[in-house]
Amino acid sequence: MIRKLNIVLILLSAAAFVAVYGLKFSVGEIAKNKTALERQIERQKGELSLLQADWSYLNQPGYIQPIVERHADVLGLQTIKQAQFGAFGDLPMRPVAPDTDAMTALFTSLEAGVDPADKPIGAH
Amino acid sequence: MAVTTSEGSAPIALDGAKKFRGNLTKTRIRWVIVGLVAIFCVVGGRLVQLGLVVTDNSIEGRSREAISASRPAILDRNGLEMAVDIRVPSLYAEPRRIIDVDDAVEKLRTVLPDLDAKWLRNKLSGEKGFVWIKRELTPEIEDRIFQLGIPGLDFLTESKRFYPGGPEASHILGSVNVDNQGIGGIEQYMDGQDVGLLQSLGLAGGQGLSPIHLTIDMRVQHVMREQLLDALTRYHAVAAGAVMLDIKTGEVIALVSLPDFDPNDPSSMIAPYDGKPAMRFNRVTAGKYELGSTFKTVTFAGSLDSGAVHMGDHFDARFGVRFGRFTIDDFHGQHRILSVPEIFKYSSNVGTIHMMQTWGKDNYRAFITKIGFDDALPIELPEKTRSNIPKKFSEIVAATAAFGHGLAITPLHMAAAVAAFVNDGVYEPPTLYARTPEQVAAVGKRLISPATSLEIRELFRLNALEGSGTVMDRQAQGYRVGGKTGTAEKVEHGRYSTNKNFNVFASSFPMDDPKYAMVVIVDEPHREGPTTGDTAGWNAGQTTGRIVAGIAPMLGIAPNFDRALDDQMVPASIR
Repeated sequence: MIRKLNIVLILLSAAAFVAVYGLKFSVGEIAKNKTALERQIERQKGELSLLQADWSYLNQPGYIQPIVERHADVLGLQTIKQAQFGAFGDLPMRPVAPDTDAMTALFTSLEAGVDPADKPIGAH
Repeated sequence: MAVTTSEGSAPIALDGAKKFRGNLTKTRIRWVIVGLVAIFCVVGGRLVQLGLVVTDNSIEGRSREAISASRPAILDRNGLEMAVDIRVPSLYAEPRRIIDVDDAVEKLRTVLPDLDAKWLRNKLSGEKGFVWIKRELTPEIEDRIFQLGIPGLDFLTESKRFYPGGPEASHILGSVNVDNQGIGGIEQYMDGQDVGLLQSLGLAGGQGLSPIHLTIDMRVQHVMREQLLDALTRYHAVAAGAVMLDIKTGEVIALVSLPDFDPNDPSSMIAPYDGKPAMRFNRVTAGKYELGSTFKTVTFAGSLDSGAVHMGDHFDARFGVRFGRFTIDDFHGQHRILSVPEIFKYSSNVGTIHMMQTWGKDNYRAFITKIGFDDALPIELPEKTRSNIPKKFSEIVAATAAFGHGLAITPLHMAAAVAAFVNDGVYEPPTLYARTPEQVAAVGKRLISPATSLEIRELFRLNALEGSGTVMDRQAQGYRVGGKTGTAEKVEHGRYSTNKNFNVFASSFPMDDPKYAMVVIVDEPHREGPTTGDTAGWNAGQTTGRIVAGIAPMLGIAPNFDRALDDQMVPASIR
């Protein structure tokens, strides 16, 4: 009885030994992964801060203006003058009613299979 | 068991050999147990002892985090970064943990060949806990050194301040030193506030600091700086500066002082300019100047508001005002009886003195205190100064002060006062931090009545249409700018110089519904050409016009050429 119990206990302790050994190694592996991930995060944070700084540098008006000036001739860019500003109020109003006669003529012509747009210019 | 002998003598009890051996075994076992217990006690005690030992896992480098602590990003009012932290790895070593110094030196030099082998060996030997090997590496180099797997070498992420705009907003931002502590501008101000506390507690190590939103608009700031740089060369001036405020809130939209410096290179802060030292200070907040005739705006606002002087009044400007052996006369002499709008338009010193005298010199002095010219402004910059205005004015001091001579204030003081005069008379102290409508209402205080404010607006626009502001108005057609020029003679060797001027233009726009106030200063300008002048309208005024023409579209102010608008702004009665 005791003999059997001893054998069981010995086997059990052997198994526990293997398990603990395995656990130790897996913890070591996880710790290594953790360090690697932390390093990666730290690096990416660093890279992110660099990219962010780069982005804000590229967006500075002081950086953009020389570029605009350099390409102004090619792109035909000009500084806007005060007189070139308009407002919606300056636009002419829409005609009060559409030109119904012209519309009817267009639709009947289209229904007859003749598209006025296909006609050569000047041939009426 | 007992053995009995035949002789019949007393029985002798003898333990059998077996029993004897058994007893002996028991004793031995007892001793072994004692021995084992003793050994276990020793082992257990040692375990407890080891458990109590605090191992020194701390790396000295980690404690350095405090000095390389990060700072919050600084953003402009549109969210564009004005200052950011870049995180860069730096290599350090713990010599007492390095096992094979020669091996480490050899390996390290494969990646960093520019390191001197002897110097490196010296650094890595010994029992020191922390030595920098190389600071501010690239991530690639960091990775390659990491792959070498040398024990006792590690990296520390350091924060480095970067200003993407370069010198654009230098006087607002200031700069930081190698330990990431502010040395000027908003950076220094921040250290005095919560950031300094966080850093001292060691909490500022992460990226978790929320960014700081300033009221600066980098687009306006850029245009203003470009135009002032242009003014420096165009008028051969020694210095220039400008500040623009949102009159409704007191928020500083842009602030430029030239010559400036590059915050990315803090040593440029004290670099000489044009062979002269100490030129790169913030003239707008820390420079005190006699702002010339722009000061008349103050005299006008105060005297009109008091009720002692009315827009319809006339004053005798035929003769100069005599004080003992001094006579004060007009620069643009009209030598006739002038109405109040004419005094403003022709910038008559004599007329202004009479207005001030009608009002009373003590009332005038009290008004200067009321508009905050005595104290330093509460702006969030360490570079500021308080004015030294005499507590009580004598007749002659009051008279010269009435047209801006003899008392020096900062351009920002003037900008804040002008902003209040056109903002229905409500003064908002200038600030670099955004204000909520509640804060605006809480800090605002009334200087003059809305009716007087309207009169000042009329005078401002009148001056742009007919007075000294016409040169400015030509540059900013359609944007309804109004303002007042100021040409002050510079004090040299204790007396007023006749050929060196300090020119100012205080303005506001659009005058039909004022939103912004601006003060532009140009120090020692010269004539641009033979047909132009060297008074303020020709340089500070013209520069103001150019700035407005550049920024008004960005600020959503559309040009309007409707003449009826001007007629409505400036009634025919004062034209």
